[in-house]
This record gives sequence, structure tokens and C-alpha cells, in this order.
Amino acid sequence: MNVSDIPILTLVTFVPLVGAILIALSPERGARPLALGTAIVTWVLSLFLVLGFSPGRGGLFQYVEVASWIPAFGIQYKLGVDGLSLVLVVLTTTLSWISILASFGPIRTRIKEYMISFLILELGMIGVFVALDTFLFYIFWEVVLVPMYLIIGIWGGANRIYATIKFVLYTLVGSLLMLVAILAVAFAFQAAHGGDWTGAFDYEALRGFAGTSGFAEGLQLFAFAAFFLAFAIKVPMFPFHTWLPDAHVEAPTAGSVILAGVLLKLGGYGFIRYALPLFPNAAVTFGPLIIVLSLIAIIYGAIVALVQPDLKKLVAYSSVSHMGFVTLGIFIFGEQGMQGAILQMVNHGLITGALFLLVGVIYERTHDRTIAKMGGLAERTPVYAAIFGFFLFASAGLPGLSGFVGEFLVLVGSFDFSPLVAFVATFVMILGAAYLLWMFQRVAFGEVSDFLKGLGGHLTDIKPVEILTLAPLGALIVVFGLFPGLLLDLIAGPVASVLDDVARASAIQIALWP
Amino acid sequence: MAWSDIVTIGPFAAAVILAGLVLIVDLVRPNRSGPVIAVSLVGLAAIAGLTVVTGQTDATAFGGSYRVDALTTFLDLLFIAIVALTILFAPDYLAPRGLPTAEFTVILLFALTGAMLISASADLLVLFIGLELMVIPGYLLAGYHKSDGFSTEGAIKYFLLGSFSSAIFLFGLAFVWGLTGSTRIDEVALRLGEIVSGASTLSPGLAMGLAFLTTGVAFKIAAVPFHYWTPDAYQGSPTPVTGYLSVGPKIGAFALILRLFVEALASVTDEWLIVIVILAATTMTLGNLVALTQNNVKRMLAYSSIAHTGYMLVGLAAYAAGREEGLEGLLYYGAAYSFMNLGAFAVIAALQKRAGVTSSLDTFAGLGRREPLLGILMTLFLLSLTGIPPTAGFFGKAYVILAAVQAGGAVGILAVIAVLNAAAAAFYYLRVVVYMFMREPQSDEAAPKHGRLLWGGLWVATALTILLGLIPGPLLEIVGDAARALG
Repeated sequence: MNVSDIPILTLVTFVPLVGAILIALSPERGARPLALGTAIVTWVLSLFLVLGFSPGRGGLFQYVEVASWIPAFGIQYKLGVDGLSLVLVVLTTTLSWISILASFGPIRTRIKEYMISFLILELGMIGVFVALDTFLFYIFWEVVLVPMYLIIGIWGGANRIYATIKFVLYTLVGSLLMLVAILAVAFAFQAAHGGDWTGAFDYEALRGFAGTSGFAEGLQLFAFAAFFLAFAIKVPMFPFHTWLPDAHVEAPTAGSVILAGVLLKLGGYGFIRYALPLFPNAAVTFGPLIIVLSLIAIIYGAIVALVQPDLKKLVAYSSVSHMGFVTLGIFIFGEQGMQGAILQMVNHGLITGALFLLVGVIYERTHDRTIAKMGGLAERTPVYAAIFGFFLFASAGLPGLSGFVGEFLVLVGSFDFSPLVAFVATFVMILGAAYLLWMFQRVAFGEVSDFLKGLGGHLTDIKPVEILTLAPLGALIVVFGLFPGLLLDLIAGPVASVLDDVARASAIQIALWP
Repeated sequence: MAWSDIVTIGPFAAAVILAGLVLIVDLVRPNRSGPVIAVSLVGLAAIAGLTVVTGQTDATAFGGSYRVDALTTFLDLLFIAIVALTILFAPDYLAPRGLPTAEFTVILLFALTGAMLISASADLLVLFIGLELMVIPGYLLAGYHKSDGFSTEGAIKYFLLGSFSSAIFLFGLAFVWGLTGSTRIDEVALRLGEIVSGASTLSPGLAMGLAFLTTGVAFKIAAVPFHYWTPDAYQGSPTPVTGYLSVGPKIGAFALILRLFVEALASVTDEWLIVIVILAATTMTLGNLVALTQNNVKRMLAYSSIAHTGYMLVGLAAYAAGREEGLEGLLYYGAAYSFMNLGAFAVIAALQKRAGVTSSLDTFAGLGRREPLLGILMTLFLLSLTGIPPTAGFFGKAYVILAAVQAGGAVGILAVIAVLNAAAAAFYYLRVVVYMFMREPQSDEAAPKHGRLLWGGLWVATALTILLGLIPGPLLEIVGDAARALG
């Protein structure tokens, strides 16, 4: 058997399921090592993907696996990755083992069930990124929902049931309409091919069709609207973001990390992979509206973050603001903007993931997240405060760290698109620095607060195992900050091919705006 | 009566004989449920085999009033599976309450014969006899717990509204007979086609007939606004009976719709399309909205079963709008719905093993801790009812929606209404999951031991719920053949 015959994508996707089954069959104390082991095996496999990947092949899919699944409708089990999905798969596998390791301390009840949920969640997330069949994509998309629902609902905070049901209902409304759109698109494809279902759910075939004859205007508008809703809720874009702060606040730390690190990226990925190339005309029509919504999200998220009394909520709202840059970058339809958006997705995953871990660290010790009760952490827990500061600067977009590159590219791209948009977005970057640093000042400097004094010896500094979860993220942030080319090489091909499709299908006017 | 007639009605005749045989077994070995269940299950397996064998070739019997085609075979096998699963689930619930198993089984087997008669009818009279033969045992079953006031109340409501709707239905049949002069389904279809083709509007007689028939059928499938009997009948009935009532007679009534509306009344499709569209929209929406507010799981599932009727009607509407996929979707959904709903009711029945345990949400509190396996299986059934992949319920819904999207127009809007309803339904299905896994148990009583039959049945329902979602191919071919038989 040749090495290239190994179905490595299937392995990467389903190793977590194997781990979950093993955990189910083994006693409770085996759950932690098994889960961590599985996640690390998956991670290593995903690194092999990177090694064997040839970036030179542009937007083409590699490691493609095809098997017939439901022949009556031409539905296939089809997997494959291009640079974009590869980057996100590795982000997922990396954050997964980190999150599992970070759960060892905080999760003390029903460990078995927790680890099983987490691995199934990982399966679903990887599946979304590697699926090349719209039906299969939808299935993975929904598979993500249930474990996250359980993770928030069982291991979450006091108000967890409200938060988890809100999360599920928001997501379901969007995704079910997307299902209708997927079916409608498949049917349109089938009708255009004389009633033959072959390829009706095949991503590459659909994209080829969208690039040549294209879907009818009415269908494009409906299907784009449905896909948009599903992805916009996931991102989340203003005004569909209200589930996010609740979910984040109630979720256990690792749940927040995955939620911010990967789940939000499913939306951005969906825009680039599906909504834009399949419905380019509708995307251009809706473009200005989405840019406005993105700007609102950027501003609104930052302003609301400024006044949050709760650490986790502050990070959650900063996510809304940062993810606004992602949608902005995508919908200005420019190379720099879209590359910036993808970098921003990765960086936001790394940085916000780390911030949630850090909030979790302090919460473990104080059982409180109120900013007003903190103060003087730099004196009591100097190492922790230093690490916290590092990630906050990364989040604020300090040059040299990865957060800067993505936002900078988006800003450059939006300046080409419209100076006004760029001005607004730049202004908010300053605001971003303001709320993050102001929070840091209140938490880390000044007098040690009475609340922290009252904790006495319980307030220990950060532990080695906690540093172990943060170190890889910090290293990646520095590496990608200094050498963004590592990522840009991978994503340039897919971005160019998506933009080609959009430009060819619609011959867009770049200077729509003053 | 020729020998070929006997062969053709073989499965039906075998079901009648089996019912009689079980009665005799109970006489020989009174008050023992073991032999009764063994004989019934073996008998049902034999009937299923016979159905498959005779179903290989299309045939008619008794001068064309009885007919076997791919649709008959599919529906018969589904009915047999429903009855067999119900027989597996029942003893665990009946025995602690001192209710006899043998009579229960016999009544159920007679209902099976009625359902089989409907699916094989090529004549309106046979159709009506089949209908009555199916629903009358249902009334008996609903009131099976004689000493329980709710059971009796539910049975009386079910009986009154059921016989009322049967009468309305029969009245409608009379109109059709009066206009066409025949009760043979193919002849009725032919004559109606002649009548309709010349006229620009429906004659008053035909319109009346259609209205009565639709009303009668809408009662049977519990479509809104003819659903009022459902919640009380379902809540009051013994739980295994509720499980059966929510699938058996419903699929039976849909079989009747297929034979009557799709075949006999095919020429007036345009007239009933709009009726079906409105029925589907109101049934889905109202069923779900009312289910949202229920605190009793049985009652909640009763309303949810109304909503599922609505989803199936979406498939019918797509067919009426000219897409054969609509029928296939309807049949697939019917099968998927049967197994997942029976599974959910089986879990409720298992929880009520101790007499006196209610089916309120509180009963489910902490089930994930008390009986993890039951909790996980219930979650699977509920997810399938919600329509989350990869389960049977998801694929059924996707199929129906696909057909509706293909049909386009008003039916396309139904697809959107259907998915919005599915999202709303997630709220009440997941609420049960919240109780099972996110709340603490109310009492620390040890979990009761469940019978092997119950577990066996649960595993069958589980396997089917997963397989029909993961590997829909084989069943797709079967429902494809069945839908083409109606042509």
C-alpha cells in the first residue's frame, strides 16, 4: 500500500470518534488520558497533513477522498483540503488538545461524558472544514451543535440552561434554512443537468456550475440569504450576536476556548467556502449591507466591551468586534482584505482562546470574574499577570504579534475599497487597545484589592500545567506575527480562486463607496 | 374464489389466523404472557416473510377489490414492525398494573389486519372496512386501563370523535359512489377523470364529497383543526398504547390517503392541493406551538405527533404539486417517524415501570445519572425527532423538504415553514434532555429492572433510527418502488 493511499483525512476526522468510543467503554479514570491521547494523535495526524501539502497547487483540493454514499441523489462522502481548510483544521486540532488539557482541573464531575462530548465536537468541527459535499457539510455542521449544547448545559455556570438553549435555537434557525438552500441549490443543479443528480451535492461540481452558467438570480438571493443567516449567526455578526455573551459566560473554560477559537470560524469559513463562490452575484448585491453590519459589529463590540464589569463578557464582546474585521475583510472582495480576514480568524482563535484560558485560570482561584473586585494581580501573581499582559497586547494588535497582521491587512484592503470604511475601522482599533489595556490596568496594577487579600493563600500563581496550555499559543502568536508568510503562502491560492470566481461572475465595481 | 386469490391475500389471512391462534394460546395457557408473546412474534416474523414473498409480483384478488403491489408490501412490513415493537414494549408496563398481556396482543393483531386491508384495498368498501377494523381496536386499547379514569376518558373521546369522523368519511364515499357509480378505485379514478375533464368547476356533489372525505381523513391523521381528540386520548392511554396510537393508526390513515386521494381522486389533485398546503402549514405550526408549553412528556409528544403529521403532509403537498419525490419523502418519513417515536414512548413506558409514576417532566429529572443508557437512547430519539443528523428523522425531513423545494411555489414556502417549525420544536425536545442530564434526580430510589424484551425492542428501534439516517440508500429504493406503484 502506497503512503498516499492512506485515507488520512478520514483518519484525522474520525480518530476522535474512535477515542470517544474507547472512553465510553473504559472506566472513569481512563477518560482523561485517553481523551488527551486521542486529541494529540489527531493533532499529530493533522501536522502530517501540513507536511504533505503542496501550497503551489493554489486553490485545488488535495488528499481528496470520494466514496458514493446515497447514490439516488448523487450524495457522496467526499473530503479534501485546500490551504484555507488545512489552516483551520490544524487550528482545530491544536486548540482541541489544549482545551482537553485545560479541562483536567476545572471539570470534576462526569468526566467520561465530558470527554466524549468534546471529542465528538472535535469530529464535527474537523468534518465541517474537510467536507466537500454540501450534504455531508451540513451533517457535520449539525454534529457540532449537540456536544456544544451538552458542554454548556451540563458543565456550565449558574445560568447555563438558558444560555445553552439560546445557543441551540439561534444556531438551528440559521442552519435549517441553510438546509433548505442546500437542497434548493442541488435541485437547481439537477434540473439544469437534465434531471441527473450526479454532482448535485458535490462542492467542486457546484462551484464549477456557479462559475460557468451560474445559478438563477432569484435562487442566488434566497440561497445566499439562507447561508448568510446560518454563517452570520455563527460568526456572530451584529445583530445576531446576542447568544454569544450568554454562551461564553456560562460555558466552562474549555468550552469558551473552542467556541471562540473554532466555532466562530465555522461562519467565516462558510462565507469564503460556500456563500461567495456559489452565489457571487448575490454576494456582491448583499456586500454593502454586510460591510455596514461588520462596521457596526466592530464599533458596537468594542464599545460594549469597554463597559463590561465581567472579564469573560469583556472578552466575549471583544470577539464580536474582532470577528467584525473578519466579515469586513471578506466582503470588501479584495485579495488583502480576504487574506487578512483568514489571518484574523486564525489569530483570533489563538489569542482569544488564550484569553479565555487565562480568565479560567483566575476564576479557578477566585470563583469570580468581576473586574472591580480584582486589582494588584501583578503583585500577587506576577507570572500570571505578565502572561496575561502578553496576550492582551496581542489581542490589541501590537505589531510583531500575530493579531496585528490580520487587522492590518484588512485595514489596507478596506482603504483600497473605501477610505471611510478604513478610517472607522482604524479608529476602533484604538478603542480596542483602550478597553483591553484599561481592563488590564484595573486587574493587574494598583493596590491589591480586599477581595484578593481575603483569598489569602488560595491565590497562587499560574501552575506549570496551565503554562503548558498557553505556551504553544504564545509561540504561534509570535511566529505568525513575525512570519505571516507561513500562513499567507497556504491561503493565497484559495483566496485568489474565490476572488476570481466572484470577479468573473459579477465584474464588480470596486469603488462603490466614497 | 380461485387458489390465486388465497395466495394473494395470504399475509392478510395469516394475520387473522395469528390473532385467532393467540386467543387459543391464551385459553390453553391462561394468564401467562410468555407463550402469547412468543407465538405472536414468531407469527409476525412469518407474516413478514410471507409478505415479502407474495409481494414479489403484483396481483389482484376477488375480482379486483384486493390488490398487492410494492406499496402494499412496504406498508404491511412497516405495520408488522410497529406491532411487533409494541408487543415487545408492552409487558413491562402492563404487568405491574395487573393488565393482561394476551388480550392486548390480540387486539393489536386485529388492528394489524385492518391496516393491512387498507394498504391492499382496491375498492372503496374494502378501504372503509379496513379503516374500521384498524381503528376500533384502537378505541379498545385506549381504554385498556379500565380502572384509570384518564384512560377511560381518553378512550371515550377517541371513540366518539373517531366514529363521528368515520361517519363523515363514509358520507363522502357515498357522494363519490353516487357520482361515479362504482366503488372500484381504478374505475372511480377513470370516471372522475371524465367528469372533471369537461367541466371548468367542480360540481357541487363532487365538492361536497371531497370536503367530507378530507374532513374525515384529517380527523384520522389528527391534522389541525381536527386534532382535538389527540392530546387527551394520547395522554390517558397506557403508554405503550400511546406509542402505538401515535404511529400505527397514523400511518394507516396515510395509507388510506394514498389509496383514496392519490389513486381514486387523482384527477382532482389541483383542488385538494391548496387544502393540503393549508392543513400542512397549520398542523405543523399549531402542533409545535402548543407542544412548547406542555409539562407532561406524553402530552408533549402527542402535540409533537400532530406536528409530524404536518411534515408528512408537506410531502403529500409536494406530490399534489407534481413531484413524485413527495410521496417517497412521505413514506420515508413515515418509517423514520414510526421507529423514533415508538422508541421515545418505549423509554417513557420503561420509566413508568412502577405503577403510579407519571409522565411529567420531573420524572425525567436526572435520568442521565440514574439510568444513563436509557437517557442516552432517549436523547437519540429526541434528536431524531428534532431532525438532527445523522438520524432517521433528519433524513426524512430533508427528503420531504427536498420534494417541497422541487415543487416550488406555495409548497416551497411550506419547506421554509417546516424548517422554522423544526427549530422551534428543538426547544421542547431538548427540554427533556435538559431534565435528563442537567438536573438532579428527584428521588434516590433504585432504578427498576427492565425486561429483556423491552431492551431488545429498544435496540431495534435505536438501530433503525441510526441506520435510516446513516445509510438511507436501501430504504430509498424501497419507497421509490412503492411510490411508483401508485404511479
